[in-house]
Amino acid sequence: MKALMIATEKLPVPPVRGGAIQTYIAGVAPILGEAYDLTILSRTDPALPKSETVGNIRYDRVPCGGDFKKYRQETVNFLKKESFDLIHIFNRPRLVRAVREAAPNSRIILSMHNDMFNPEKIAPAEAAFAIYNVERIITISDYIGSMIKGMYPQAGSKLHTIYAGVDLNRFRPSTSEESIRIREALRKKYRLTSKKVILYVGRLSIKKGVDILIRAVLELGKKHRDIALVLVGSNWYGQNKTSDYVAYLRSLAKRSPAPIITTGFVKPEEVHQWFWAGDIFVCPSQWQEPLARVHYEALASGLPIITTNRGGNPEVIRTTEKLIVETPEDPKSFAEKIAVLLDDPLLCKQMGDEGRRLAEQMFGWTRVADEIREVWEGKLSGAALT
Amino acid sequence: MLDKNKPVVPDEWMDKYGFVPPEVKILAKQALAEYDMKVFEMKLITTKPDKGGAIWRLETSKGTRSLKLLHRRRARSLFSIGAQDYLSRRGARVPALIPAKNRKLFVDLGGKLWIVNTWIKPLTQASKINPDGAAKLCYGLGEFHKLSRGYRPPFGAERNSRLTRWPDYYQKIINKFNWFRVLAQTYRDAPASSHLLSVLGRIEKQARTGLASLRQSAYAKLAARGEKHWGLVHQDYGWSNAQLGPGGVWIIDLDGVAYDLPIRDLRKLITGVMDDLGEWNLKWIKGMIDAYHQANPIEPGLYEVLLIDLAFPNEFYKHLKEMIYDPDAFLNSNTARLIQRLMKMEESKGSALRELRNWKGGRS
Repeated sequence: MKALMIATEKLPVPPVRGGAIQTYIAGVAPILGEAYDLTILSRTDPALPKSETVGNIRYDRVPCGGDFKKYRQETVNFLKKESFDLIHIFNRPRLVRAVREAAPNSRIILSMHNDMFNPEKIAPAEAAFAIYNVERIITISDYIGSMIKGMYPQAGSKLHTIYAGVDLNRFRPSTSEESIRIREALRKKYRLTSKKVILYVGRLSIKKGVDILIRAVLELGKKHRDIALVLVGSNWYGQNKTSDYVAYLRSLAKRSPAPIITTGFVKPEEVHQWFWAGDIFVCPSQWQEPLARVHYEALASGLPIITTNRGGNPEVIRTTEKLIVETPEDPKSFAEKIAVLLDDPLLCKQMGDEGRRLAEQMFGWTRVADEIREVWEGKLSGAALT
Repeated sequence: MLDKNKPVVPDEWMDKYGFVPPEVKILAKQALAEYDMKVFEMKLITTKPDKGGAIWRLETSKGTRSLKLLHRRRARSLFSIGAQDYLSRRGARVPALIPAKNRKLFVDLGGKLWIVNTWIKPLTQASKINPDGAAKLCYGLGEFHKLSRGYRPPFGAERNSRLTRWPDYYQKIINKFNWFRVLAQTYRDAPASSHLLSVLGRIEKQARTGLASLRQSAYAKLAARGEKHWGLVHQDYGWSNAQLGPGGVWIIDLDGVAYDLPIRDLRKLITGVMDDLGEWNLKWIKGMIDAYHQANPIEPGLYEVLLIDLAFPNEFYKHLKEMIYDPDAFLNSNTARLIQRLMKMEESKGSALRELRNWKGGRS
């Protein structure tokens, strides 16, 4: 079977500039490439050739400058030159019509990673056309599926959740000599050697609830003298223009009895090192989030996890339901749950071990690729969401 | 396309009186070369060092003109350039844009857009000490709004619109009031914290009532009429950007224009004047609204929204928002006095608005 995966107009595959969708495609492509004649279409990038074959995968990249309409036109041009048995579109329902017209006989699969089916992102008539013309809609969480079904009930029988995966070799508990060395080096560099490190990974944004987490740490720091909060991936100094929100966070942190530090930008290929350096992972999301990738990374790294009941986030936390925060707008609820873990190292260890086990069973790229194969082979029957 | 070897306008530069970086000077000369005029003299009038913008006064063979380096993104500048051109063609008293030799209204250089304007003279400030001056500005504002109706941005421009964002904006400020509370609690030892905490409840209630009133008001219906229907607001309208000149009020510095309900500008002007007066003065407000109404009639639904926006604790927020950046320095005893003053203002505003609700004035 000749298959084409179409990434978004934003970033190239492989993910030389990061991106959740690009990472996802790069994770499953080598496995799918063994069984299929696989091409991946994405945008051009100065660091990559327009066309290349690496291993068993062919990459084509079209110029669009990040502009969706140009990308759509280039995709159509591409499909005029070559036909595919199956076309798998990622997160762009607005590509379906053009793809259907350019490839009337191809099977079309659509993967949804967030809210691109919302009415302000796609006109209802076009959404309905897209749903009608795709064979399956794969979603990265039940939450995303239920949102689509809520708006378009007719999508129900086509929806199917396939949870994403994580690189289980890179993200692993810090038990090896190398990982312990890096853990100690990072902790020394940031003066965290004797601390229990609470870890947050992501942007400093209101939706992510970083202010709530900082307030929880302010509270905890009064009693727990040995904690520190590390905000990985952002920096509240050294930006040209500080946003009001970052200024607010900085002002809160200034009065914290416990150290609160930002690491600055961390390269995607190095972020696993911070999971080695941390002790407790917290995702304080306030918004209905599709399902943040950091959960897989924390699970695979063997860290105990506290997350919120928002969006798809709690779906992959199977073993520790009592550490899901039900009232994410309340700093106290985080403080309480974090305190449970601070006071119980054995529980931390247990949760970390279980998380790693779960990740190995469920969240490797092989499992994701196998599930995509089932969809491509048309082996799936009935609906996942009824 | 940007050429790596050519100079680029920096996003910001050192804040020093009368200073622009040498590359900006070079670019300014290059921009002027695109115009059909001889420049005898060029004087830097003002700069925006934190954003990368500047204005020069030019003495040229074609008379006095100005050169302006617009600090915004190109697509955003296109929006305001189109607006200025539209207004000026419709007879609004705004400076005329001088076309370059290639007949475009701007020069695209160093990653930014540059424009050349006629220099309006003589311009004098309207009186700040009697209601007449304020009324004149309001009349000019109404004229401006009326003539801006029907504006459509040129191809490639980034639409700047606040028309449907009012509820979001109110909500954002309500959230910030919560930040104020959390910071005052966290910096409880600072002199102004207890003052702030003692009044925040009232202010938050006032803001929430404002948001609820906005939702129940004619706002959504009015906004739904669309951007072309309402036209543009200036966003920085006041005694320096609006001055008296040949024929009436002249309006300059149009680069912040946005689609919005026109009374947004009027509200800002009124609250600004009241702030200067130190209390809410009915005589002044009525004079201002009447004058505006004569130039651009305010229909009842829009008047209702104006009153809601006046009632919202906009000034309380405006005067205290800096606390987020450095609570230790900000929450001092001066700020404690400021809070007292702001609360007095809110009180006098309350009674003024009660009267305005039943006032028909010249709007009948």
